[in-house]
Amino acid sequence: MIATSGREHHLAERVRKGAAGDHAGGALGALRGSGRLRLGDMLLKVITGAIAAGAIGAMLLILVFLLRDSWPSIMYNGWHFVTTITWNIGNLYSGGVTHRNGATAALGAAFGILPFIEGTVLSSLIAVVLAIPLAVALALLLVEYLPTRIGETLSFIVEMLAGIPSVVLGLWGLAVLIPWIGHSFGPFLLRWLGWIPFFRGPVGSGQGLLASGLILAVMIIPIIAASTRDVLRQTPRETKDGALALGLTKWEVIRAVSLPWASSGIFGAVVLGLGRALGETMAVLMVSGSAANYLPQNIYSPIGTMAATIVSQLDSAMTDPTGMAVHALAEVALVLFIISVIVNVPARLLLSAAARRGGPETQ
Amino acid sequence: MQLSIRRAAVGIALVSTLGFALAGCGSTPSTSSTSNGPIALQETGSTLLYPLFNIWVPVYTKSHKNVTITTQGSGSGTGITDAGNGTVQIGASDAYLAPGSPAGLLNIPLAISAQQIMYNVTGLNSQHLNLSGKVLAEMYTGKITNWNDPQIAALNPGVQLPNLKVVPIHRADGSGDTFLFSQYLSFSSPAIWGASNFATSVSWPSVQGSLSATGNGGMVDTLAQIPGGVAYIGISYLNKATQKGLGYAAIQNKAGNFVLPTQANILAEAQGKVSQTPKNEAISLIYGDGANAYPIINYEYAIVSDKQSSTQIAAAIRTFLDWAVTSGNAQNYLQQVHFLPLPSAVAKLSQDQIAEIK
Repeated sequence: MIATSGREHHLAERVRKGAAGDHAGGALGALRGSGRLRLGDMLLKVITGAIAAGAIGAMLLILVFLLRDSWPSIMYNGWHFVTTITWNIGNLYSGGVTHRNGATAALGAAFGILPFIEGTVLSSLIAVVLAIPLAVALALLLVEYLPTRIGETLSFIVEMLAGIPSVVLGLWGLAVLIPWIGHSFGPFLLRWLGWIPFFRGPVGSGQGLLASGLILAVMIIPIIAASTRDVLRQTPRETKDGALALGLTKWEVIRAVSLPWASSGIFGAVVLGLGRALGETMAVLMVSGSAANYLPQNIYSPIGTMAATIVSQLDSAMTDPTGMAVHALAEVALVLFIISVIVNVPARLLLSAAARRGGPETQ
Repeated sequence: MQLSIRRAAVGIALVSTLGFALAGCGSTPSTSSTSNGPIALQETGSTLLYPLFNIWVPVYTKSHKNVTITTQGSGSGTGITDAGNGTVQIGASDAYLAPGSPAGLLNIPLAISAQQIMYNVTGLNSQHLNLSGKVLAEMYTGKITNWNDPQIAALNPGVQLPNLKVVPIHRADGSGDTFLFSQYLSFSSPAIWGASNFATSVSWPSVQGSLSATGNGGMVDTLAQIPGGVAYIGISYLNKATQKGLGYAAIQNKAGNFVLPTQANILAEAQGKVSQTPKNEAISLIYGDGANAYPIINYEYAIVSDKQSSTQIAAAIRTFLDWAVTSGNAQNYLQQVHFLPLPSAVAKLSQDQIAEIK
């Protein structure tokens, strides 16, 4: 809609109004007087309103329940929860308990999730950095270079890739990716990039930050590529043709017209991908090495992410008679929720600002 | 743009329909408690005990036509919780209940299991290295970092130990095996490991290069890939691990001897603990007395609430568990998973507890 010029837009609106008028004047004209149409409108309004309010309400309820479930943990841990590195549900079989700020936990219990926050953020950033060039290149190939029929087929395959269950990717990661990193890719990186501090260190089994980043990249490339393709397709034909007529090469048209035009859309696509990467659980759980109690020292270090830790620690947490371990996991979920909001809200604000700004420029 | 909005609308409609469908599935009523018809029991918990339940249930239900039993391997923590809140009738756990667990929950031993310490040290996997609790505790706390460490050499005179980095491997998920191993370290070397530092998931010291794996199967696979690795693995995976060429250690017991997890040694350990087993049967079998006692064994527990929703269900649970600790303890069932039967005095205590289920 942004693409169409003002006059075209006006025309389209008139055509639509005309059609609607004809329609109402013809078949539905009789109903209008009886009031049934208005009743239907009202009903639709109420139903859609209720459903929409339900969605927002569900979101708020999740927040309320997370806050309620994690409250004892917030009391017990304070800010140490996000600034310390030790996760210890305590000595459940000692019979003793620790009291702090009115909350009770098993003797010696300490909950610090800094390693999980770092693991989540670093693995997602690696994934996004790897995915952006590949996904944009893939989208450009689909839209600009391939003949329509091949492009459509490939597009379909890309969309299918986006729908692969993450556990399938996790299994592939475990069976193929990890041995490959452990035996080939890790040593290769160490040899050629070992002078960079973060690439130095023992490669280990292949489980860890690198594997998590790679598997997340595989997971979000189709998401970013599919959205980017949709945006690129909407680049105004006239502008592109005009640019070509001015003697620009195809690459120059892409660089000067398509990419700038699509940039806000691509940014949105990347945020979508980042959101998926931050919350991804199963595949990461299978390849991350589920580390706790230390921060990743290099790109090969085993890591734990917040989402994966909730899954891997829940079973043990439920054996804690004081219930504090489960409250602490609820607080992990709360922090993950907050991080997702922090990532998404400013990004979406920027996005809508870019869309408003981008409108007139492209006409 | 309009197209994508429309597509999004269709997507939302689809998702919400699916959501309602799923919600519908969730609210399906499970066990009916009033009818005299077939009784459905549900079991969930320990993945170590899960294979045994799957051997028991088809045999049992063949002779008890009015009962159906569904089984699920979900982890000991889930077994304890779900049995406590009534989601399932029988929970399964490798660990006994912690003090302060909800009143009215019984932990009833059904069989005896063991755990071996395995390693991947090139050239030495076909023989059994001697390892002590102290050496293992120092490996897992990062104090012993190489297989040619003088402490390991002192336990293994005449063995040529390679210059190879030690890679301690532990369970990533909550696990009864972690409970048993950390308890062995705790009892055998409290000065290094901490006196009561044991649970189904413990706070592992940060050791450079240490690894974690999910499930016993994951432990075997990871160990097989990592030269220098050391790992604790449930006895039911011993065959699978030795087929992959991994070695297992002779472990130092309380008497100071180095023993292997043979049937005789496991029984020796169990016999030493029979007289100490209290009425509620919450007892560790780790690191007991006896010259040949293998120090890492445990009771496999059924976790059951003593108040069930109906008398019929309580009776069905009593009959099944009674069968499990008597006929079900026959060698032909247990040896498939390398478990050992309960000593008769312990089976009697279990039956006393089973009788409390009302």
